[in-house]
Amino acid sequence: MSVLREMLENLFSRPFTILYPKEKVPIPVGFRGKIAIVDEKCIGCSRCARVCPAECITMIPDETEIEVKGKKIVRKKRPVVKFFRCIRCGLCEQYCPSEAIIMKCQLSESGTDKEVLVQ
Amino acid sequence: MPQVILPIGPQHPALKEPVNFKVIVDGETIVGLELDVSYTHRGIEKAAEQRDFIRVVPLLERVCGICSHAHGTAFVMGIEEVMQLEIPPRAQYIRTIVAELERMHSHILWLGVAAHVVGFNTLFMWTWRDRETTQDLLEEMTGNRMNYGINEVGGVRRDLTPGQITSALSRLPKLEEQIAKYVDMVMNQETMLLRFRGIGKLSKAEALKYGTVGPTARASGVDYDIRRDDPYIAYSEIPWKVVTDTSGDVFGRTLVRIGELQESLGIIRYCLEHLPEGQIGVPAPKVAPVAEILSRYEAPRGELVHFIRTNNTDRVERIDIRTPTLANWTSVTVSLVNQNIADIPVIVAAIDPCLSCTSRITILSERGRKTAEMTWDQLSEYGRKSSRERDRC
Amino acid sequence: MLMDPLLLAVYILIFPGFLFLLAYAFFLQYLDRKIAARMQQRVGPPLLQPFADFIKMLGKEVIDPAGVDRMAFDAAPVVALAAAMTAFLYIPVVGESPFAFQGDLVLVLYLLTLPTIALFLLGWLSRNVFSSVGGVRAVTMLFIYEVPFFLALLMPALMAGSWSISEIAAWQGKHTWFALFQPIGFVVGLIGLQAKLERQPFDIPEAETEIVAGPWTELTGRRLALMHLTMHVALVAGSGLIAALFLGGPLLPWTISPPWLSWIAGFAMFLGKTLAILLILASIKVAMGRIRIDQLNDIGWKYLASATILQVAIVLLMGSRGVGI
Repeated sequence: MSVLREMLENLFSRPFTILYPKEKVPIPVGFRGKIAIVDEKCIGCSRCARVCPAECITMIPDETEIEVKGKKIVRKKRPVVKFFRCIRCGLCEQYCPSEAIIMKCQLSESGTDKEVLVQ
Repeated sequence: MPQVILPIGPQHPALKEPVNFKVIVDGETIVGLELDVSYTHRGIEKAAEQRDFIRVVPLLERVCGICSHAHGTAFVMGIEEVMQLEIPPRAQYIRTIVAELERMHSHILWLGVAAHVVGFNTLFMWTWRDRETTQDLLEEMTGNRMNYGINEVGGVRRDLTPGQITSALSRLPKLEEQIAKYVDMVMNQETMLLRFRGIGKLSKAEALKYGTVGPTARASGVDYDIRRDDPYIAYSEIPWKVVTDTSGDVFGRTLVRIGELQESLGIIRYCLEHLPEGQIGVPAPKVAPVAEILSRYEAPRGELVHFIRTNNTDRVERIDIRTPTLANWTSVTVSLVNQNIADIPVIVAAIDPCLSCTSRITILSERGRKTAEMTWDQLSEYGRKSSRERDRC
Repeated sequence: MLMDPLLLAVYILIFPGFLFLLAYAFFLQYLDRKIAARMQQRVGPPLLQPFADFIKMLGKEVIDPAGVDRMAFDAAPVVALAAAMTAFLYIPVVGESPFAFQGDLVLVLYLLTLPTIALFLLGWLSRNVFSSVGGVRAVTMLFIYEVPFFLALLMPALMAGSWSISEIAAWQGKHTWFALFQPIGFVVGLIGLQAKLERQPFDIPEAETEIVAGPWTELTGRRLALMHLTMHVALVAGSGLIAALFLGGPLLPWTISPPWLSWIAGFAMFLGKTLAILLILASIKVAMGRIRIDQLNDIGWKYLASATILQVAIVLLMGSRGVGI
């Protein structure tokens, strides 16, 4: 009977479980993980804040001189992300013209404070 | 024996989601059932009306955790039809692959839950172990294990690389082998047969009368599948067949789902092998013209319907989601009658209920403390009244 | 059979009495869970997990459901545990039990029934719908499996012509295991034990998807700990009983010269046989789902009972031909 056969096969094979903190779960390339902002690339265009479905990105005033394609421009704003409101849909990453907001290939942490900010 | 009302839910160990029903029992036998499906109303339709077409797709994916691709695709298909966009075949194929992977993961998950409901936890562990394969594939292709976020109006957001295709194809045979094992187990495992066979009978006439959809209907011999009868995305180009069964009981529904697992695997393999070259999307306009559209999609649980009304803006004026569970709920009230109390979890689980997705309306009393009920006439009167008010302004 | 009072006290309290019994009960529980986990391709608990669970639960708050009879609610798990532990004293572990007397088989069977009765009482006392239903289911199940189980376990007594477990075990030492003489009885005994311990497919009283945890629902803290321990001890006592009645127990068919060596050999036999029985019980647990109580009723009375009656007829026939007795 197939149940018994599978039982015995499993009894003498390694468990399937990944013991998480000790063994790491493999994360594939292109995984939408933790959100991060690359500050020196941001041109302050606000597109990420406009496409965010969770409305967790807000633009705050920040006048900085940055370098884009060899030219120096002054940006007016930069984004901050309410980290635990982020649903990791990746729309901001997709719509960002300068790859300044990215989803890292890294598991997102969990927490209870909804006001934690990623700068 | 007098009839007793046995309250089940909202919190109940057999049901992983909150639903509230009152079972009327005569001794150990069930005589009737009263349902309250509005316990977890989330107002998601209203929220969808507030967001533009880019931002609404991730929201609609979150209507259901398991058939998230179904909701996303049903919506974007509707909007694309309104905008009269020609979607490139490669995007359609990728949508099909994700849709069928989602169906597989949903059906495998259901099989485990069904086994768990009858106390056969071993099969539960095994199926969920093998479900990891589909989850890994989805993670690699879309970037997430759930809420894939692959859809957008106009196409898909990610392309498949040749490496991903070969790696996916190489993992399918192992999954196929495991599914074949499940077929064998379900057909031969004595305790499962005892608990599934002849339980929750639903005749073909009843299945049609109560408007059941998906595997529930197909197990009662209703040969109906949106993928074949109203083909969308790439289904018209793919060879596959609709699985039906005539027994109409829980066992039949299990067989239909396992059959669909095998069919889905075939579809995925075909799509991966015959993936057309080309673009994965076309640029979509920001606004949609005035239109009303009914978008149908065969979700893992059955026919999913999105009614969308657009009004020349960048967001929908009204979206109404009819989840397959809502269509199947009424059949539960019928198939539970004359069954044993111990079979309630089995019969309820057999339609693969997804309760939070189902809840579309909650009627609150004046101060919002209590839920109320509305008759059909009251509801339609209410609808007419509010639409008159809307037309006036 | 008289012994030095000191040795007797050691027998009761340390080895193979309570201390060993508790340690072995936790170990069997660990093994049971580990085997089940590995068959399901999970990792399973570490060695001390059942013991840690027990200690943890002892330290947890004891919650009294409103309107419950506290005295009875506290007493029931203790009575159940005492019954299961007493039953073990009559099971031969290293040679014959020093407490053996004619009729201890009946006493052990009676004592092993007490945990189920205690569960019913707990369910009834809890004043909770799930508990009451579970308690009623436990007793209904008792009526179904108990008759075939008792009949199956009394067959060796009939054949060996003794009502003492130790003597029955000794009889097998001279002849052959009863598992070979009475295969039907052996199988029914194993099934009955599985039902007595409320393991799949007989976990009907505590069916978690139907009635939460049945009689266990309202148990908390030390009550829950003691009831769990009772079931662990009942597993040891039950498998020891089956091993003694059907597999020859710890007694060897030949004599080994220094007595201490024969004791060790007997103890090894006991361990080996109970572990083998546990393996069978764990496999049944893993391979099956739960059946409904009406289905169990059908199976129990139609097949189990008639199979045991057939076994009785065979034994009586063999007896009249001069085999055994």
